[in-house]
Amino acid sequence: MSSEALTRRLFLQGSGSVTGSALMRAGIPTFIAVSQAACTAKEEASAFENLSSAEAREVIAIAARILPTTDTPGATEAGVVFFIDKALGTFRAEGADDWRGMLADFQEGVPDAFPGAQLLSDLDETDQDEYLKSVEETPFFQDMRFLTITGVFGMAMYGGNRDGIGWKLVGMDGPPHAWLAPYGYYDAEYTAAQEQQNGE
Amino acid sequence: MANENQATFPLDEAVDFVIVGSGSAGGILAKELSTNGFSVVVMEQGPFRTAKDFTHDELSVLMFDELSGGLNDVHQQTFRDDESKEGELVQGRSPAWYAQTVGGSSVHFTANFWRFREVDFKERSLLGPISGTNFADWPISYDELEPYYSRVDWEIGVSGAPGPSDSFRSRPFPMPPMPVKSSGVLLETGAKAMGFEVQAAPLAILSKPLNGRPACINCGFCMGFGCEANAKSSTLAAMIPAAMESGNCEIRADSAVFRVGTNAAGRADEVFYYDAEGSERSQKAKAVILSANGAETPRLLLNSANDQFPDGLANSSGFVGRNLMFNCHSLANANFEQPLNDYKSVQVTRIVHHFYDADPARGFYGGGGLDARPLFAATPILYATAASTPGVATWGAEFKEHLAHNFTRHMTIIGNATSLAQDSNNITIDPTHKDQWGRPSIRLTYKDHEDDIATASFLQDRAMEILDAAGAAKSWADHVEHQTNGPHLLGTCRMGDDPENSVVDKFHRTHDIPNLFLCDGSSFVTSGRGQPTMTIMALAFRASEHIMAAARNNEI
Repeated sequence: MSSEALTRRLFLQGSGSVTGSALMRAGIPTFIAVSQAACTAKEEASAFENLSSAEAREVIAIAARILPTTDTPGATEAGVVFFIDKALGTFRAEGADDWRGMLADFQEGVPDAFPGAQLLSDLDETDQDEYLKSVEETPFFQDMRFLTITGVFGMAMYGGNRDGIGWKLVGMDGPPHAWLAPYGYYDAEYTAAQEQQNGE
Repeated sequence: MANENQATFPLDEAVDFVIVGSGSAGGILAKELSTNGFSVVVMEQGPFRTAKDFTHDELSVLMFDELSGGLNDVHQQTFRDDESKEGELVQGRSPAWYAQTVGGSSVHFTANFWRFREVDFKERSLLGPISGTNFADWPISYDELEPYYSRVDWEIGVSGAPGPSDSFRSRPFPMPPMPVKSSGVLLETGAKAMGFEVQAAPLAILSKPLNGRPACINCGFCMGFGCEANAKSSTLAAMIPAAMESGNCEIRADSAVFRVGTNAAGRADEVFYYDAEGSERSQKAKAVILSANGAETPRLLLNSANDQFPDGLANSSGFVGRNLMFNCHSLANANFEQPLNDYKSVQVTRIVHHFYDADPARGFYGGGGLDARPLFAATPILYATAASTPGVATWGAEFKEHLAHNFTRHMTIIGNATSLAQDSNNITIDPTHKDQWGRPSIRLTYKDHEDDIATASFLQDRAMEILDAAGAAKSWADHVEHQTNGPHLLGTCRMGDDPENSVVDKFHRTHDIPNLFLCDGSSFVTSGRGQPTMTIMALAFRASEHIMAAARNNEI
């Protein structure tokens, strides 16, 4: 399936008028939520520059288990698949073939563990987690964890952290990053007590 | 701004001074010498970044080590903990970690600026020798260096307030301490409850405008990043502009020095380097100063070995590269109930120097200081990748909830400790690997002395007591392990009166070559209690004065 067809199919499967959070509450399988991310801008109609549709499905699925959508956004909403897609053409261009080889090795283990399945994204979330737990020490998974984290929290120019989802998740104000004291609970309390003492 | 309106010197005419390295020492020497009429070429292997080039890009700056010119695949440094082993090529960040950029590591440092105390210079006289080590006194005293510490305060820019047991200061701080953060409040609360003295952290960060530079905007991107406001007191912000405006200084960036040449008279006369295009060039010099840091300076001396000096330049003592000291460190971590938001503003606002002095009753040598900071909770990628919280999943919904809850609730107390000087800890040349310019690589051999580990562990125990007394919801500390990397690169060309066991004299002139000077962290005799850059800068101001006097008296 071409990436255009994939994103169109995902969009049609989702309900066109609902927001991302409504999709989350409806418990719709994670990979469909990407339709929201995939269709918010025109340039995303052809979605991926470096990833094939099949690769993208797997990347979306893995990232979504590492930083899942819960009652707050996760890797899917942050657009980690777009971050990784972009990375394969930039800072990961040199190692892209190696990475594809490692992805293939990763996928080969799926039918062994879950007969009848071909890809991780064929499984439900519980089985996905089980499989990922079995490979969590592997360099491939550790690297996917790194790419998921950097995709969620990195600067938008790298393709992820859409709408500052990552920074909002951890309670980080800004950008811009420029502050005046007081900064947090304990120094606010301390400073207020000092000012009271000084009769201000 | 970079490279505009600065002097340029022809390569085949000897300038008064070539300085290798534009960092904490090199930047000061460049400014002092050039503003006093000497012609100076500064060789900097990194590029000429300025404030407008500094971003908040964690991926590039922290994960890919942008300001260091990349990770170790570029630098090809090797590490071993014992001389009987082969150095292993390190993955990830280079073990001798320093910035390759104009301003050097003063661009990316965390800006903790601790003066030494009297005891740091004379500790061996106080405590006696320690067998198996090169524990020694400095040939200078705190009193001799004090006026230069004050110059650092006022000319580089240090904010703070005197602590209860600090050594004498001839001038006050030029500006008050930075506003306290929650991590600092919690350190203070816990320390007071335990009866430990606590004080404001002296920082090379402007709390008020100074010398035409603005005050800090509290952005929180100090540690590892360059300061876009010029409020962090790098030599890039504080010294380099004046050096260039003098009309006597050329900052020659993208110039990787690979050899210092000597003439028949045994004097340094030429500095060989790879230019921005990778072509071999050389600059003639009347005198040469190496301020390349405690790893690069000995490396250059060793790589400059020639028929006259087969063991490397200035190495008749055999001490070039030896006695490497990192300072020892420990971490004590905690999460608190309420948000600290310690990602805002500078890293450290409070310190505890209650355990500064060594206490023989403890059964081991060493002393140090505690500082409170967000550490990894300064920025989210760093927190998610580097901070490990026991009992918490490393991926999945639980991991995400942990990040969401704890990023703003986390702090760390670092125990900063002494390192004993040991000949077995050193910088040598790797026999196999070469860096991005083809220069034979730095090989580090390092294993913390057991007393260093004991001191760091002792400090860690005190830190855990403090966190508990401050009401931490959860606290944890990992067993102190032997270090395999460090940003503090000290001791490798030590200062001393005796040419048999030192590399430079008390004025930073090498014992062997009268017009070759070394001034940077390599000059240290003892490690101090941590945060050595303040002392490096004071030494540079002092060295400048003496080098200029010698030059005027035709004594070089």
